[in-house]
Order: sequence, then C-alpha cells, then structure tokens
Amino acid sequence: MKASYVIKRILLTIFIFFVVVTLCFFIPRIGVTDPASRYYPPQSATMTDEEYEIIKELTRKQYGLDGTTFEQYIRYMGQLFQGDLGTSYQSGSPSVIDCIAECLPWTLVLSVTNLLISLVIGVIIGTMAAWKRGRWQDKALLNASTFTTALPSFFIALLLSFYLGFEWEIFPAYTDQNMVSGFDWSWQAISTVMYNAALPIFSMAIGGIVSYGQSTRNSVIAVSGDEFILTAKAKGLSNNKVIYGHTLRNAMLPIVTQFGMNISGLIGGSVVIEKIFNWNGMGTLFLTANGNNDYPLMMGIMIFMSAFALVANLLTDFVYSLLDPRVTLGERR
Amino acid sequence: MKDILRKTGKFLLHVLQGIGGFFKKLWKHKQGRVGLIIVAILAVCAIFAPLIAPYDPYDVTQRAEKGLSPSWQHLLGTSITTGQDIFSMLIYGARSSLSIGVITGITIAVLGSLLGIAAGYLGGWVDTIIMRIVDVLLVIPTLPLVIVMTNVLGTSYVVIVIVFAAFGWTGLARVIRSQVILIKNANYVKAAEIMGASRWYVMWRHILPAVSNLLIMSTALTSAGIMVAEAGLSFLGLGNPEAISWGKMLADAQSSGAMLFGHWWSILAPGVGIFLAVYSFMRIGLAMEEILNPRMRKGSNMLKVFKHLNNTYLDEVFASMDEGSKLSGEYISSGAAQPPASGEKDESAGS
Repeated sequence: MKASYVIKRILLTIFIFFVVVTLCFFIPRIGVTDPASRYYPPQSATMTDEEYEIIKELTRKQYGLDGTTFEQYIRYMGQLFQGDLGTSYQSGSPSVIDCIAECLPWTLVLSVTNLLISLVIGVIIGTMAAWKRGRWQDKALLNASTFTTALPSFFIALLLSFYLGFEWEIFPAYTDQNMVSGFDWSWQAISTVMYNAALPIFSMAIGGIVSYGQSTRNSVIAVSGDEFILTAKAKGLSNNKVIYGHTLRNAMLPIVTQFGMNISGLIGGSVVIEKIFNWNGMGTLFLTANGNNDYPLMMGIMIFMSAFALVANLLTDFVYSLLDPRVTLGERR
Repeated sequence: MKDILRKTGKFLLHVLQGIGGFFKKLWKHKQGRVGLIIVAILAVCAIFAPLIAPYDPYDVTQRAEKGLSPSWQHLLGTSITTGQDIFSMLIYGARSSLSIGVITGITIAVLGSLLGIAAGYLGGWVDTIIMRIVDVLLVIPTLPLVIVMTNVLGTSYVVIVIVFAAFGWTGLARVIRSQVILIKNANYVKAAEIMGASRWYVMWRHILPAVSNLLIMSTALTSAGIMVAEAGLSFLGLGNPEAISWGKMLADAQSSGAMLFGHWWSILAPGVGIFLAVYSFMRIGLAMEEILNPRMRKGSNMLKVFKHLNNTYLDEVFASMDEGSKLSGEYISSGAAQPPASGEKDESAGS
C-alpha cells in the first residue's frame, strides 16, 4: 500500500464528507425562503403586525435560523468542526449528539449481532452449497435466495412477530421499554436485551444469511476452477484442507467487499425493523424527528450515518488493498 | 421533413423489433416465462381493477362491517379500521406498486445509461464529476434521505418517483460505465472513430446498442428493488396517504391490531402481493442475465460435455462462442471485482 494512495483516498473522503454536509444543510431549505416559517406560532387577533414580527424574530433566534442563509451555513460548518451538530427542537432541546449517543448502542446491538450471525452462518452454508454443487443443498440455497430477496425484511418481521410473538408467545413482539431505562450491566439486564432482540435480529438475519451464502457459493465455485486448487487436490490433500486452507481463503475477497458494504449500512439499515418492534434505536429516533419536523436532528443523524459509512468504506478499501495489492484508487468500484 | 419521418419510423420499427425479440427470448426461458406470466396477471389486475374488484375500496358507501373474516361475500375479509374489502384493496394496490416500480425503473434506466455512457465514453472531467456525484450519493443512507425529501417536498407520487430516480441511478451508472470502458476499446468502435464518426454517433449507434441488453436486465431488477422500497415507505406511513398500496395495507393491519385478533389474512394478503410483484420482476431480470451470459446457463449440453475439464478451459470455449461473454470475461480477469449487475441486487436487497 503506497503512501500516496492512502493520502489521496483520505483527501477524497474529506471532500465527499464536505459535500454531504452541504447537501444536508440545504435539503430542508428546498422550496422555502424562510425555513423558520414552519415554527411561527399563529398570529392572534389582538396582536399587531409589529408585535408579530418581534415574535417571528424571536422564533428565528430560538431555532438558530436568524441571519442570511450563507451566515447560517458558515455557523453550521463552524459548529460541526467543533463536533457540534446543533440542538434538537424536541422539548428540553437536547443536543443532537446526545440524542444520537443515547440511541446508537441499541441500534448497534441489533445490527452488529445480525451482521456477525449472517457472516458466519452464511459463509458455512455457502461453502457447503458450493461443495455439493447441483445437489439439494445448492438448490435449497438458490430457492431460498430468490424468496428472501423478493420478500421485504419488514414482511418477514411482521410474520415472525405474528406467529412467534402473538400466536405462540415464544418471544416478545414488542420491546419492553423498561429494558432501556433500567439497563445496568448485570447478567439479567443483558439476557433481557437478548431476549427482546431475538425477533428483530432473526428477521434481519434471514436475508443476510442467504445473501452471504449465495455470494460465498459463487465465489468458491469461481475459485475452485483455478489451477492451484487442482494442484492441491493432486497433492493428495484432504477435502477439508482443500476447502478451508486453499479455496475459502482465496474466495474471501468478494465477501470482504460485501462485509464492508454492510458495515457502512450498520446504522441506517434497520429503520423499518425498529419501527415494527418498537426498538429504541436510531431508526425510531429518525422517524420521531421526521414526525416532529425536527430538521437539525434529522440532518444530524444523516450526517452521522454518512460519516460512519465513509469511514467504513475507507477502512474496507485499505483492508482490501492489503489483501489484494492489485487494487488502486477507485478501481474496486 | 420526409427524411426525418422515415428515419424516426425506421428507428421505431427497430425498437419494436428489439422489444419483440426480447419477449420471445424471455418466453423460451422457463424462469422468464414464469415471471412474464405473473407480471401479465398483475398488470391486468392493475389496469382493469374497477372491473375485477368486487367492491370499490375508495367508495365510502361500499364499506361493510369492520373486521369480517373471509367469506364468499368478502374473499379475504374486511379491514379492521375501515371495513374495506381486503380482496378489492389487494387488486387496487397493484396499481400503485406496479406503476411506481415500472415508471421509476425506466427513469432510472434512462438517467443511469446517459450518465454511465457519458462517464465511460467521454472520460476526463465528465467522468470525474459524475463519479464523484456517485460517491456522494452512495454514502448517504437511501431510506432516511428519501424520508427527508418526502418531508420537505410532500408525499405525492410524482415526488416519490423523482426522489427514487434522483438517488437510485448510481448503481446502474457504475455498471454501465465499466461496461462502456471495455466496449470503447473494441476494434469496431476504434474503426468508427478513425473513419471520423462523431462522438454522438458512436455513443448512439455503437455504445448504446452494446449495453442495451444489460439495461433491460437491470431495469427489471431496479423496478423490483423500487417496489420493495415503495412498500417500505408506505409501510412507514410516508407514502401517498390517499392511495391504496400494499405497504399501507400492512401498516394498517399492524397498527389496528390484526395480530391480536388473529387476522392473519389481512397481513398475508398484501405481503403476498408485494412478493409476487417483486418476485416476477426479479425472475425476468435474472432470466435475462442467464440469457445474456451463457456461462450461467444450467443444464446446457456443452456443460455436460466439458464437465470433467476445469473451468478455465470452459471459459475459453464459451468466450469464443459469444462475444458478450468474452467481454465480461476480460472484465473479471482485469481485477475489477464485481461482475456486471451484481451491484444492482445488493442495493435492492439493502432497502
């Protein structure tokens, strides 16, 4: 990995982040000349126009929307470089960072567990399917993959919460909100969280397992045609050694790519699932902000998600170029 | 004037022939035929919904008792909150899902192919600008972005289609671009350039036809992805509030306690609708992929003959048989990791 490649890649990331922030700043201002007009209280009959102007001015100040758009932009960027994403319009006006910090761990519980389960089980199933190419294991995986891609994960989640949650009462269909407020690191609290998280994780993981399985299968089949696999077989290595020592190791590159892509979606990927199970994560936070027209919070969450994705992409690229030295800037895309 | 008319006529005939040939190919493919048949049924449901549906779900006077179980009067019962006939809603729901999916899919195909071809063929600063825009749009999480845009611009169908198209073309543009870069160096394109053909002529007559099959395939796949995304959006209550859509039916069923009452049909019906629509479009897209890429064909006689030889040799055999697969073979071996069109599937699955 050359130093110039690293520097170029980092500069590009910073540039993209800058553009994303600018976009996020201007999106709420599309179509309205005065974004604060959404928050003006109605003018009462006894109020003169001058008084109403003063109230408008106060509202603008309160929401940080005073001055020209350019001034607001400069102020926003300045705050951002000090690590401040602004204040939410919620009651009590908490800072956006605090809101995110409160909800982020709960989303990560879901998405990280989901990703790890998908990866491990998916790779095992995929390798099996590739080894039994054309037999029932392979066909089952193929059929499962068409089904799970066509079934939206929120529909799977609804079915699971209907049968496992309501009909058979194995897992809770709605998250117990006491779990969030009364969380201490005791074993009981952790096991409650895992018990509540089972259904959301399972409904996301079905699709993930199958998609990792399918790409592992394709990659393993592509690699197993290479000459060095033939050599390994000809040397008289056992099946297991050929699979795990030679084939799987070389088939890992596309899996790394997919893993990197999924890492960048860790925070923003569970919006609908969180809504179904009433899970107190980033998705719920975002939907609540959307319901309240709380633009600083919405934009803060978007910027945070984008920054997370950018860093994840950057790291994936570096890992990838360590694994495969042929990769240079932008070629993998 | 006459000349222009004749030219457009010829062009239209050419397009029609292309579409006819495409359907013929699909019909011969077993999986493609399944997809075509389901799409045809859904399209008939969508177009003739008022004739097929036993009740008009938009008509307030045709509402029955709330929360009825399935019977001969109401094949799938009635909804818990409003008493609308669920079977009729299911048929009407095909309208919003199919129209948004297909219209957005075609818009994305136009946008993605234009920008992809421009980036790949023209190169230079055009390529840099387009690819940087792609980089930016790929980083921003799609669903939150769409939610914000509908919050700002409203939730009419026009807005939803525009927003999905404006942020959904990136994957296609990238695939098309990498394909165009390969075609650009083919001998016949070089020959046309040396003979003095203009850039527009080359792009229109040589590049576009070469990626058109890929375009049709990915249009089917993006349409499927958009249908899932639209269902998700209306499930969150952020779709068009006036129209009946499958996502909204699911949301209504969940929020009105269909699960508590054990009304499994009111959850299953819209889900099956979404599944059929997405599945059929995916089938068509994947069948197209198999038709285009002969190495993916299963059970062909060639495969049986060369079963015992190793795959590299097989690749060479197929490459000599089919120009298209030779291109994609070079593409894979040149170190670019993703085969064409796999990016499309990832994105549709991600939403």
